[in-house]
Amino acid sequence: MPTRDETRHTIEAVPDTAGIVLAGGRSSRMGTPKAALEWHGSTLLRRTTGILARVTDGPVLVVRAPGQELPTLPPQVEIVEDPAEGLGPVQGLAAGLGALTGRADIVFVSSTDMPFLHPAFIRRVLRAVADGADVGLPLARGYPQPLAAGYRVTLAPVAARLVAQQRLRPAFLFEECQVARLDEAALRADPVLAALDPDLDSVVNVNEPADYQAARARPAPEVTVQRFGTLADGHRGPHPVRAATVSGAAAATGLALDRHVVAALNGDQITRDGETPLAAGDTVFFMSADAGG
Amino acid sequence: MAPGGYFGRALVVDVATAAAVVLPLDEEVLRGYLGGAGLGAWLMHRLAPPGTDPLGAQAPLAFVFSPLVGTPLTTSAKFAVVAKSPLTGMLNDALSSSHFAISGKLTGHDAIVVHGACDRPSVLLVDGDGARLMDAADLWGLPAAQAEQRLRERLGRGWRAAAIGPAGERLVRYATISHDGRHAGRGGLGAVLGAKRLKAVAVRAATKVAPADPGAVLAAARDLRARSFGPATAKYRELGTLANLLAFNAISALPTRNFQAATFAGAPRLAAEELAELRTVARNSCASCTIGCEHIYSGGGRTMRVEYENVFALGPMCGVSDPDAVLAASALCDELGLDTISAGGTIAWAMECAERGLIGAPWLRFGDADALLRVLPLIAAREGLGDLLAEGSRRAAEQVGGGSADFAPHVKGLELPGYEPRTMHAMALGLAVNSRGADHNRSGAYEADLSGDLDRFAGGDAQVAAAVETEDRAAVMDSLILCKFLRGVFREPFEEWAALLSAVTGWDADGAELRRTARRIVLAKRVFNLREGWQPGDDWLPERLLSEPLETGSGRVAALTPERLRSMISGYYAVRGLDPEGRPAQADIAGLGLR
Repeated sequence: MPTRDETRHTIEAVPDTAGIVLAGGRSSRMGTPKAALEWHGSTLLRRTTGILARVTDGPVLVVRAPGQELPTLPPQVEIVEDPAEGLGPVQGLAAGLGALTGRADIVFVSSTDMPFLHPAFIRRVLRAVADGADVGLPLARGYPQPLAAGYRVTLAPVAARLVAQQRLRPAFLFEECQVARLDEAALRADPVLAALDPDLDSVVNVNEPADYQAARARPAPEVTVQRFGTLADGHRGPHPVRAATVSGAAAATGLALDRHVVAALNGDQITRDGETPLAAGDTVFFMSADAGG
Repeated sequence: MAPGGYFGRALVVDVATAAAVVLPLDEEVLRGYLGGAGLGAWLMHRLAPPGTDPLGAQAPLAFVFSPLVGTPLTTSAKFAVVAKSPLTGMLNDALSSSHFAISGKLTGHDAIVVHGACDRPSVLLVDGDGARLMDAADLWGLPAAQAEQRLRERLGRGWRAAAIGPAGERLVRYATISHDGRHAGRGGLGAVLGAKRLKAVAVRAATKVAPADPGAVLAAARDLRARSFGPATAKYRELGTLANLLAFNAISALPTRNFQAATFAGAPRLAAEELAELRTVARNSCASCTIGCEHIYSGGGRTMRVEYENVFALGPMCGVSDPDAVLAASALCDELGLDTISAGGTIAWAMECAERGLIGAPWLRFGDADALLRVLPLIAAREGLGDLLAEGSRRAAEQVGGGSADFAPHVKGLELPGYEPRTMHAMALGLAVNSRGADHNRSGAYEADLSGDLDRFAGGDAQVAAAVETEDRAAVMDSLILCKFLRGVFREPFEEWAALLSAVTGWDADGAELRRTARRIVLAKRVFNLREGWQPGDDWLPERLLSEPLETGSGRVAALTPERLRSMISGYYAVRGLDPEGRPAQADIAGLGLR
């Protein structure tokens, strides 16, 4: 595990960043919409948007196909519709980046089907773009990962032009800008990422039912919970549990989230949203909502 | 005839002569200002000469009761002490509770106001026979609790006293008035009584007061009692407010070493979860209360009530982690009659001054428990350095200079409570704009910061709305009066409070009326301060909080910029119908019914 000093600078949202989830794929191999797949009491799309929201300080957008139904999302998640269906990721990228022009500098773009995406991975990728590149492109688990990558918002007109030219592969975009390629060694050089996602499972995606079932069968991430005040009764001090959401962490320690209980994720933002996703290494504090006196 | 729950009159006593007059309180005033802090504000407009010296003979000080006092409604046995504060120079109301509220009201008055000054230490007695003075030479110098005990022995059963300690006698600007160990703590109202040479005000019930609909009140009382045992009050029942400490430390909201940090390594030693197991002696409650929030601890050879604010102010704020020392300091403040928050804040400021070489007290260092225990009696006695610190951090910083005003932890002269504004932006706004100064009981905006409903690090419109709403709620609760520890049991608070008020008074009040009442009370307080010299710059936070970002325990850099605070204040003024400098329109002032 990373030391406290190593992790303490990894909590804060990366400045002037945003998130885009490309949800408009047809899910044909899965046979059912991947965005709505159940994930530890939540959905894959809810989890992905929640992970992006934890790392970025700007909007999180979901780009969907025209008329596509999405599972329930928090009200702050924005929905952008692709003007045309089936044109692939560069079309989604153009729509998403266009919607964020003037609202963020750098965007992490994700597909909807990466259930193990870790905040530390996103931070590392965004840092590559913040250091000066137009794109931060991971090369992980044997492949380039354009749908787990960082992009400058200024690429929006380039992506739109490529779509107009029917040049719909991400490689065409990379030909026209400066790309920082992050191979596995570069990614693992980040001590926090190396500790929290050593196998780079962040880029594992689920395309077929068997992928999903295998992923779903994995144990939930190990997180630490601590109960305070009257909630601490018999449960003082930090305890490791396995949980993929705040609700799951509460349940694992025998609590129910209600109007009298709130959670502080890594001592930072406070939430009552039980579907807030957790990742390996997180700490969740549960405390009385009736603070004061 | 007065409405149910009221007598329709205040007793105004010139303690120079014990001459008393009855001030009629018509129904319009009572319905407009209710009681407690609200009616107190009206009384100060009416009775305090503009520009009066809070420690001068003419300054009035009011013990104000409320319509719910004397009913079986849980937590209703409370009273407000209201006067112009010698610490802030502005309107101050401080609440306390228990039997003094009931006996005081049942003297037949909705308020007892004192003005003038005695020529010797005295006790004011008020009962069915009116007002009279009693010599208190033998009580002068005693802790308030001992003075109360002597008075009980001397006067006999049925008398209840609110008294000051040595700090009040020596005009320490943050001296308290206490009854039965509970302090009307903030703003230095003990010094106002001390300036009048009044050691205590003792009251004895002489009459009764009936609610308009006794059956409805009884039914409401039963319902409220049942709800008071629920989860919304569990924190207060089981651990008390000290339960905040460890949680606030975990989320970087615990002011430490005069706001130089928001986490304290020694916090676990002072945590309720720890102390409750090792030191709990008993639990207690105020009269008419079913919550029982008081947790009596032992420490340093004494027993004392322990609250979060005491421990925060005398512990992390001063860098002291020894629980024996912190509990002993808290008990010492009680004995001396010092507001723990202002004492801790002023001492923490002095510790920083000493470390910077701005004051000649090399012995006064953060974390030095002995120094903490040494300086408190000096303050109460106004001896040496204590004379400077008895003025509070604002005045002391003005004397010391050297840039120390930038880190003097106050708003309007009132020292900040234990909520870190840089990590709680709604609370930052509430602390800045409240008429009493930096205070968590008149602005409960921290509820929004801790709710999970907004970003506590990014103040904006939602924080403005939260600050207004919680200030309005506090205005009504402090005027009815109901204990704020009950607030979580109300789903529709204004509607439910209106129903309680209607059952007691016979009025047909509804939630909308109480919302208007809240705004009237909040505005009346602001108008009083305007009259007494409030300036736009008074609605602001200490420079440190706006210029020194804070690294939180999670690694986030939390900052509250002047621009963000200014923006929130502008939003607050707009919602309150004030002009861009925070002043109300003359028509709005005229509509307050103040004379």
